[in-house]
Amino acid sequence: MITSLRRMVTCHWSARRIGRYLDNDPTAPLAPAEVKRLESHLAVCEKCSGVTAEHRALSRALSRWSQQRLPDQAALARLHATLDRITAQGGQ
Amino acid sequence: MPLPSRNSPDSAKRQRALAFKTHVEPELPVLFRVALTLTGSPADAEDLVQETVIRAFRALDRFDGRHPRAWLLTILRNTNMNMHRRQRPDLVEDWDAMGDPRPAFGAERLVSAEETVLDDILTEDLEAAVNSLDNRFRTVLLLVDVDRLTYAEAAEALGVPVGTVMSRLGRARDRVRAHLRAHTSSFGRTP
Repeated sequence: MITSLRRMVTCHWSARRIGRYLDNDPTAPLAPAEVKRLESHLAVCEKCSGVTAEHRALSRALSRWSQQRLPDQAALARLHATLDRITAQGGQ
Repeated sequence: MPLPSRNSPDSAKRQRALAFKTHVEPELPVLFRVALTLTGSPADAEDLVQETVIRAFRALDRFDGRHPRAWLLTILRNTNMNMHRRQRPDLVEDWDAMGDPRPAFGAERLVSAEETVLDDILTEDLEAAVNSLDNRFRTVLLLVDVDRLTYAEAAEALGVPVGTVMSRLGRARDRVRAHLRAHTSSFGRTP
């Protein structure tokens, strides 16, 4: 009973940190102790490791979305030209 | 790169212009992707970035040379508000125009068999899931997971605290996962 309650609390705690753990964003990194606790839990909890796999799959899917084609090169070229013009005029 | 003093001769003026170009040039693709997310249209995004670059050059004297991307994202956000453009990220017309992201969730890693099955997400299911989100949540999800901004950069682009970005991102991802679990046969089920 106590073991399953403790597991439930850890699942809740983990669910709130999986995104940050995977993002590893410099603005909001997890503390080393949090990483250790989370990884220990993921190693034994099927539910939370499944959630983590979903997060990774979603991230890859969104990444593929943006990778399907290169950015509009003509638009980028026009923006570069604008930048060239502004800096040429401003430097005179 | 520190900017030369304003009260220097013409050569310093040229150096300042060159420094500006050095700061801005590498950020143009990122600015364009963010502008596309904010405006929902490639043509409006291009107009917005052009205007942002012009305003940034005019504001060059107030820039200390540090964190050019954050500085430019702030100007882009203010410019977007000033131009009274529609801010409807749900109406992105050309998803293909949003490219060249940083790697998803940081480091590359091997993909497990279970994740290979989970990866079987149809584009239309994903679009439906993302489009079902409220604007506030969708915009953060696109800025971080598609445009590959950091939390802090997304916060600059939206003019909200980092904590708000993190909470909206968490809710957006939870809702998209729930939507995909309900509509995609393989998502959320182990093989």
